[in-house]
Amino acid sequence: MEGDRVIRTVCPRNCYCTCGMLVTVREGRIVSIEGDPLNPATDGGVCLKGLSYVERISSPDRILTPLRRRLDGEGFDQIGWEEALDGITAGLKELRERHGPQAALFYEGSGNHGALSSLAEVFWNQYGGPTRAHGDLCWPAGLEASRLTYGDNLHNHPVLTRESRFILLWGHNPAETNVHQMRLILDARQQGASLAVIDPRSTDTTDAADIHLQPRPGTDGALALGIAAILEAEGLIDRSFLESTAVGVDPYLERARAFTPGRVAEITGVGVDEIRALAIRYGETRPALLIAGFGLQRHHQAGQTMRAVALLPALTGNIGVRGGGWQYANLASHGLRPPPLPPVPDRETRSFPTSRLGAALLELDDPPVRGAWFEKANPVSQHPRTDRVREALSRLDLLVVVDQFLTDTARMAHYVLPAKTLFEEEDLVTAYWHPYLQLRQKVLDPPGEVRPETEIWRDLCGRFGFDTHWFDGDRRELLRAMLPEGEGNLLERMESEPVVLKGTGEVAWSNRTFPTRSGKIEFRSEEAAELWGVDPLPSWEPLDEGSASTAAELWPLQLLTCKTRERIHSQFGNLDWIRGVDRPRRLDINPADARSRGLADGDRAVVWNDRGRVVIEVHLDHGLREGVVHVIEGRCREDDPWLNLLTDDGITDMNHGATFYECLVEVGRV
Amino acid sequence: MSRAGFILDLDRCVGCGACVLACRMEKGWSDETPWRRIVPFNLDRVPGGPTWHFSVACHHCEDPACLRACPSGAYERRADGIVVLDGERCLGCRYCEMACPFGAPVFDERSGIMMKCDFCHERVDNGHSPACIAACPVGALIRLTDEDLEATSPASIPGFIDPAGCRPSLRFREPGGNLREKRLEQLRKVLEQ
Ligand code: SF4
Ligand code: SF4
Ligand code: SF4
Repeated sequence: MEGDRVIRTVCPRNCYCTCGMLVTVREGRIVSIEGDPLNPATDGGVCLKGLSYVERISSPDRILTPLRRRLDGEGFDQIGWEEALDGITAGLKELRERHGPQAALFYEGSGNHGALSSLAEVFWNQYGGPTRAHGDLCWPAGLEASRLTYGDNLHNHPVLTRESRFILLWGHNPAETNVHQMRLILDARQQGASLAVIDPRSTDTTDAADIHLQPRPGTDGALALGIAAILEAEGLIDRSFLESTAVGVDPYLERARAFTPGRVAEITGVGVDEIRALAIRYGETRPALLIAGFGLQRHHQAGQTMRAVALLPALTGNIGVRGGGWQYANLASHGLRPPPLPPVPDRETRSFPTSRLGAALLELDDPPVRGAWFEKANPVSQHPRTDRVREALSRLDLLVVVDQFLTDTARMAHYVLPAKTLFEEEDLVTAYWHPYLQLRQKVLDPPGEVRPETEIWRDLCGRFGFDTHWFDGDRRELLRAMLPEGEGNLLERMESEPVVLKGTGEVAWSNRTFPTRSGKIEFRSEEAAELWGVDPLPSWEPLDEGSASTAAELWPLQLLTCKTRERIHSQFGNLDWIRGVDRPRRLDINPADARSRGLADGDRAVVWNDRGRVVIEVHLDHGLREGVVHVIEGRCREDDPWLNLLTDDGITDMNHGATFYECLVEVGRV
Repeated sequence: MSRAGFILDLDRCVGCGACVLACRMEKGWSDETPWRRIVPFNLDRVPGGPTWHFSVACHHCEDPACLRACPSGAYERRADGIVVLDGERCLGCRYCEMACPFGAPVFDERSGIMMKCDFCHERVDNGHSPACIAACPVGALIRLTDEDLEATSPASIPGFIDPAGCRPSLRFREPGGNLREKRLEQLRKVLEQ
């Protein structure tokens, strides 16, 4: 309509797609959101979550003023910024005076991506360096495995998926979690490509597959080594490619040979013929693209598993090839330079692996953690061991949560500060699937009393008498300074299109230069052994808490808590628009497993192990592997289960990840 | 001009709901009055049967049951096939709701009249696609072409019936490949049993 403004921006969720968006504003309100047709990877699309921002930003549940918990602990009072920041300042000062800066925890999640987040450090570094968490709940083991193997995390431009002849998805469900990738896969399929999926569940992705293997969770490493052995036996290894580009191939193959088809079948619970058929079709068809999701690296042996899987494309000469490749994460857009920050005073930074949040807060001493600040995070829903997390948070003297909604974590806070949405401050957003760097242009002023986090940090710095010059001047100039040397003018280009940074090609590794220690693809990695104390060759052992462990005698079912299309973790599920199309959180269970426990569809069941128990409705899922149960993760509403009461706060073999899928349970009638 | 109508590619639709939300954004309906819905088939993945998501709205039928049933002449089928409902003339008697075998007209308690997918005729008149079609991220929901209209009928999907003889302008397309055949075969077997 006349007078409408259309602004190009980008969805900053922790999601593969990172869609460019065109937002239409009419009379100060957002009336529509469409995909940006100039982003070739997302091709003019967003998903239902991207569309739901229209509701989300003006949701009546949105927090628009600072809140302070009432003295009786029940509920919150709305207060002004002065009062809130005065109270928080006094609390943080007292912590520091009595116990030192490490008595405070600063925790930043991934709920809202943007380069300006780094400005939080301006405050915390001058505060003296708080306690921090390192690692990540989601994907770090796979990142490290990829890096150790190829030297970096890069992959082909997504649109080249269309040129593939054989696509193997491993622990990945793009129909739900990377819907634009699904379009490309369906396009390839329409042109005759075959699709194979390895997933213990049946999903909308496996429905489209020609081959579907359903191994026991945690056995993917054995499956990958077994496939390597079959490829060798069938003469499907690309020796000429490997000769000049790889090291350690022979010891790797020797290791793989121990994983005979019969043994792998026994470990994985998948038939010998099925494994052979997959291996041979993958090895024979070129170009073949292997895309690994995050699902197969949520257990203690994550890194070693991912190394075994990541090597298959190298073994078959599919690296540096259009339509082929190894696809896990593409960090081509991640070349931003953080602004020079104030130094942390001369003291060792104290940090713990993020998965251990609850335990660490309960156990850390000298000084104990007495105060915590969470932004873009909802650990009560998303961290393992909800019992420990809640216990730890309830003991704090000061808990500050910055969020848009009253999440499970925010409900426990002393102070809740309203967070801006993606539309309310300009920022730069990187991606991890397509190569584009995109400008998140500001669309609206924040509503109510909402202030961007950068304003909160500036204000706090002022109250502490810290240097605030980072916040002075134009935000745009700050962003410009983060772009690679000499590329500052990209910012203006990004107003009208997504950009790629210099030196990032369409086909990853086409120059066959690998920035590993040896400069080659590392089948054997001394670096892996040195850094992480693992076998230099990819290896597989049964999981401590796997289907073959002694714990399985008590708790014989493996619980998976997977992602879904209509939520990103604990976000979006509170919205009416989403509720209209989402599915209830139920316990998916194979009918045979249900029958032997006297459970029928729609029954209430209790799911338990030695960590916790959850009551939930049963859903018979004929497509799910026996011995595996599944519930969609993420708690957004009162009626969602507390799944992470059941999951363990373990740490992956590499890079400090979490072990959500190494979780045995038993299920019974209520 | 080709006739207004939808093609749903059952091999592509992953039931993501973007079309439903796009419609809601465009038309501003509430929870109780959805103009577009996803009707899932076999979400339990009973062996042998395919799992499908039917994204459905008004089918803009050739011989619309709603129009036939309406006592006040509130329905009109435009020359381009779009079946529109004139809210000004709607009495709120809900005859059309009862007549339409596909549940397209919905009663809005607040205004006391019916509502229905209007094929985004304003967008269409301005040369755009309907909002749901524009939003489908996998290209499963597309605008009907004359070719598809001729080539297939909704009855090619076992179980899809047209009890009132409305002749819906809806087609389920086979995009090529063997996938749909494979799933159809499965479904026929299940229905035969
Ligand atoms: S959540 Fe993901 S798919 Fe949806 S709009 Fe945002 S980036 Fe795109
Ligand atoms: S947007 Fe497309 S894929 Fe998603 S439910 Fe609708 S028709 Fe199906
Ligand atoms: S054509 Fe328009 S009104 Fe009809 S379902 Fe699609 S978006 Fe809704």
